[in-house]
Amino acid sequence: MIEILKAGLYTTLQDKGRTGYRSFGVPISGAMDTVSAAMANKLLDNNAKAAVLEFTMMGPTLQFKVPTVISISGAGFQPKVNGEPIGLNKAVSVIEKDVLTFGHPKLGSYGYLAVLGGFEAQEVLGSRSFYQNITKKGKLEKGYILKFQKDASEKILRNASFSIDSTHFSDDTIEFFPGPEFNLLPKKLQEKIVASTLKVGPQSNRMAYVMEGLESFSAKEIITAPVQPGTVQLTPSGKCVVLMRDAQTTGGYARILQLTEQAICKLAQKRTGEEVRIKLKSYNDN
Amino acid sequence: MKQPTIKPFGEQAVLIEWKPAIDDKILDNVLKANQLIQQSFKEEVIETVSAYSSIAVFFKKGIKQNDFIEQLTKKLKKAPKIETSLSRILHIPVCYDSKFALDIETVAKKNELSVKEVIAMHTEQQYKVYFLGFLPGFPYLGGLNKQLHTPRKDTPREKIEAGSVAIGGSQTGVYTTYSPGGWNIIGKSPLSFFSIKNNPPALIQPGDIVQFKQVSKDLFLQIEVEVAAGVYKIEEEVIDD
Repeated sequence: MIEILKAGLYTTLQDKGRTGYRSFGVPISGAMDTVSAAMANKLLDNNAKAAVLEFTMMGPTLQFKVPTVISISGAGFQPKVNGEPIGLNKAVSVIEKDVLTFGHPKLGSYGYLAVLGGFEAQEVLGSRSFYQNITKKGKLEKGYILKFQKDASEKILRNASFSIDSTHFSDDTIEFFPGPEFNLLPKKLQEKIVASTLKVGPQSNRMAYVMEGLESFSAKEIITAPVQPGTVQLTPSGKCVVLMRDAQTTGGYARILQLTEQAICKLAQKRTGEEVRIKLKSYNDN
Repeated sequence: MKQPTIKPFGEQAVLIEWKPAIDDKILDNVLKANQLIQQSFKEEVIETVSAYSSIAVFFKKGIKQNDFIEQLTKKLKKAPKIETSLSRILHIPVCYDSKFALDIETVAKKNELSVKEVIAMHTEQQYKVYFLGFLPGFPYLGGLNKQLHTPRKDTPREKIEAGSVAIGGSQTGVYTTYSPGGWNIIGKSPLSFFSIKNNPPALIQPGDIVQFKQVSKDLFLQIEVEVAAGVYKIEEEVIDD
């Protein structure tokens, strides 16, 4: 068990998401950066579906009530156990009363903590991912106790560590496919959009990243149609929104671009004020 | 069945599109194609999301997008002609009492109607359910009387209770879960529109017909108790479309 001593900025449990219920208007949810979340699980030989703790920009403070093995992946946080740095992307043993802190990330935005066997939480519609109105909790609060799927008796001390692809955090080129309405835009506008630089705006969260840089462009609204994580919408007033994991299932704005799954993970790790460049991918490359 | 176009939508989805319009005939095509895909491509498809005139089909990893588009095209071409289908009419109890109907006077005033007339117009219409979206279980309804169209509020409310019945622009609907929102609230239904305990979790389904039925405050409270106890039976009838 872990007790949440400080909740951090926005701390949730996430897994691979809630598939099969989007036709009922239920967002898919799941880890913002699935690549990093999978890494945290892999370090502990966890099931790929195991729930991990997701935190952003200001990590939580946690106290362990039982011994276990943990791993931390994702953004460049500086995790410490009882004040001693423990490093990222490796398996680390902790014991009762150990206090884990994360500080602020040097690079990236979303961090992931896995525990041996995964976190225990009620599975709702096939997933443990938090989503307000579907799960009891929308985010974790101070005083909450998180349980584990496995107890410490199964503990094996591991030395596994993986090196990570640092371009996942530093690369500012992100791959997009043309969206369903891309070809309806005037050719000149298409060229300008592809050549532009997009800056992550301050109102970005698990639902959507608001991007700055297309204010002088605009696209007509559409009749409400399906959207998904990675769909880039452009409004008549030039607001550009990239839908993320907790996005609604349908929307009424022009879908000008669509991120690849890898690109969603890369964009998730960008912070407010950081810029990305568009690399347009053709469906024929698939 | 009118032939739709099929194109890629990211790496793991394809988009099937009919003429973009809010139209019962197009909806019929959409719903039938959706059913056909779910029956015929169980191995390939994770899930589908349908809207007014299009369907997103999310397919499994390992399936080749181009091949899948080809298979879908063939399947939809061979699909049998549209037959008449059965629809459910769901009678949804709504209390229009001022306790719940926070904006009904605004709606009345803006449209130069009395509150009574607003209620009469809102309850006499049968609304077709096009699809679910926006919130879990939230039905997109077609057919709101033009005389009731009311612009969304300038400042959205931070909290709207589940079951609130509202008008936003040319649309009417029910807030199925607690949510912020900018629509004008004209009443509240005691029913539970989305529950993870139910299968399917959403009360209202695409293709259904919804008709609102006025109930008193007392009856509202009684139904609320029956819903909580799991004994309330929604009034429904099946019709030939």
